[in-house]
Amino acid sequence: MNKHLNLFFLATENLLRHRTKTIVVCLCIIAILSPFITAVAISEGIRAQSLVSVKAGADLYLTFDEFGRNAAIPLKYLDEIKKIFGVTKAIPRIIGRAFVQNKLAVIVGINKEDIPESISCISGRMFEHPNEVVVGCELANHFKLNIGDQFSMREQQRKTFTVVGFFSSASSIWGSSMIFMSFRDAGELFGKQDVATDIQIHTLPGHNSEIATDLYDIFQNEPYRLQDKHMVELYFKKGFMLKEGVFSALYLVAFALGIPAILVASGFGLSERKREIGIMKATGWHTLEVLELISFEQLLISLLGAAIAIVLSILWVKGFNGVFIAQFFVSEITMLPKFTLPAKFLPLPCILSFFFAFILTMVGSVYSTWRASTESPVVSMK
Amino acid sequence: MIRTEKLCKSYHCHTRHEVCAVQDINLHVSKNSFVILHGPSGSGKTTLLNILGALDRPTDGKVFMSGKDITSFSDIALSRLRREKIGFIFQDFHLIPRLTSWENVSYPLIPVGISPQKRYERAKTLLERMGLGDRLDHSPEELSGGQRQRVAIARALVNNPEIIIADEPTSNIDEETSEQVLKLLTELKSGGATILVATHDAHFEKIADMVYKMKNGRIE
Repeated sequence: MNKHLNLFFLATENLLRHRTKTIVVCLCIIAILSPFITAVAISEGIRAQSLVSVKAGADLYLTFDEFGRNAAIPLKYLDEIKKIFGVTKAIPRIIGRAFVQNKLAVIVGINKEDIPESISCISGRMFEHPNEVVVGCELANHFKLNIGDQFSMREQQRKTFTVVGFFSSASSIWGSSMIFMSFRDAGELFGKQDVATDIQIHTLPGHNSEIATDLYDIFQNEPYRLQDKHMVELYFKKGFMLKEGVFSALYLVAFALGIPAILVASGFGLSERKREIGIMKATGWHTLEVLELISFEQLLISLLGAAIAIVLSILWVKGFNGVFIAQFFVSEITMLPKFTLPAKFLPLPCILSFFFAFILTMVGSVYSTWRASTESPVVSMK
Repeated sequence: MIRTEKLCKSYHCHTRHEVCAVQDINLHVSKNSFVILHGPSGSGKTTLLNILGALDRPTDGKVFMSGKDITSFSDIALSRLRREKIGFIFQDFHLIPRLTSWENVSYPLIPVGISPQKRYERAKTLLERMGLGDRLDHSPEELSGGQRQRVAIARALVNNPEIIIADEPTSNIDEETSEQVLKLLTELKSGGATILVATHDAHFEKIADMVYKMKNGRIE
């Protein structure tokens, strides 16, 4: 039988013999890796979903520019824009924020005929008449809203809205705190009747640059801002990286505390191990064989720890919907999101997690093992 | 078989004093002989056996084994020597506590690449020879001192070594077991092995081919 196979099986037996140490090291690995894998999965899921939204959206986004920021665009230009050759559709939208009691909601105002076909995940129905709204599941749960309920918003107390539908809990994160209403109602809510926050322009393929030239002619000296899909995609990524950064900073602190824990746990029973290595050397084991055995042990414990961490992460996201951790990636949600959190488990972070665990456990044990196995057996056995 | 030239081993204590455990040792052990090292405690017997058993390196001098100077051997070469030629029986057994008797005995066979089944059979044969056939799955803490010593002897024999070095093999065991150990070592010598024993036990001197007396780290 192969010597390496013998050492591998012995490593497995050793992990079972030193059960307490194995469990403690595994728990440390899980405590460090599980939030990391979960966070990466959520981050990838949201990123993927946002990019799908952008790709399914308009080809150009038009706003005015004030002080270097997006500003509302007057609707008087809408007909001219629609007439530009290559423009298939121009959709004005109002997107803003408003308080429902003490909770901030995202308001989306759009004409009924311009509602994207992708918005189908609704229980109840879409708004048809003035003052009718569709509400996100997060808000609906927070205020325990039912179809037919009425509410008003802090910005326009006299205007009362009637709930006619909800975004289902399976809908995307974008629907979680959203209130969807007609363009006119949104204008009245914010007291801006003849403007849109942006105009989505759908174009024929390959016409964007000509359309941009025509828009330049339309707006003359007006400061306007035109963004294509690619730029919007970049903004998404940039904004998202900022949120990831906040999580990373907090995670680094936990991580810094976790590493010494693993190192200490890996070094459990060091004197017993040293004596054992001395006996092994005295009975003819080579230093490399001792190191190989220890490496197999660390490999197995890392595989075990990383595998459990991955399973727990999947459970965390799929079973508990990213409770506690989701709020780092999606703003204005509760600890337990009411919508199905998007998550994507990629192989690379999982493989990296395993390597990371392996390196950590190796650092915790390989030096002491090497020291014990290069000393004379007489010294190690003492 | 084994020859030493002006062998010295000194230690630096924390008081910075140099302590010479053995000095100027010139010793010769012929092949298939039974050699006894005799001397009071602290006379350097264990240190000398550790060096001859390739478990420790001398500070000065040379050790020749089958004509080769083992003091110049690398760590790997020394390990190979211990694995292939030397069986060492320790005074305090040095068994691994978490392993059973048969696992302790077969431990040196693991890196040789022998299958678990064959390792078990070899360990079982040796332990039965030691009268421990019913203690195969017992851990060291479940065994008496004499039984532990016999497990340690079985482990030393598992690789069929040419040289058997025993450090006070009967000091921690009862008289009956001592006699068994003596008988076993005699049998091993009859089988062609070279035996080197450090002991206070006068019984050993009766069967020894040569007795070296040690005092204050020197051979008298």
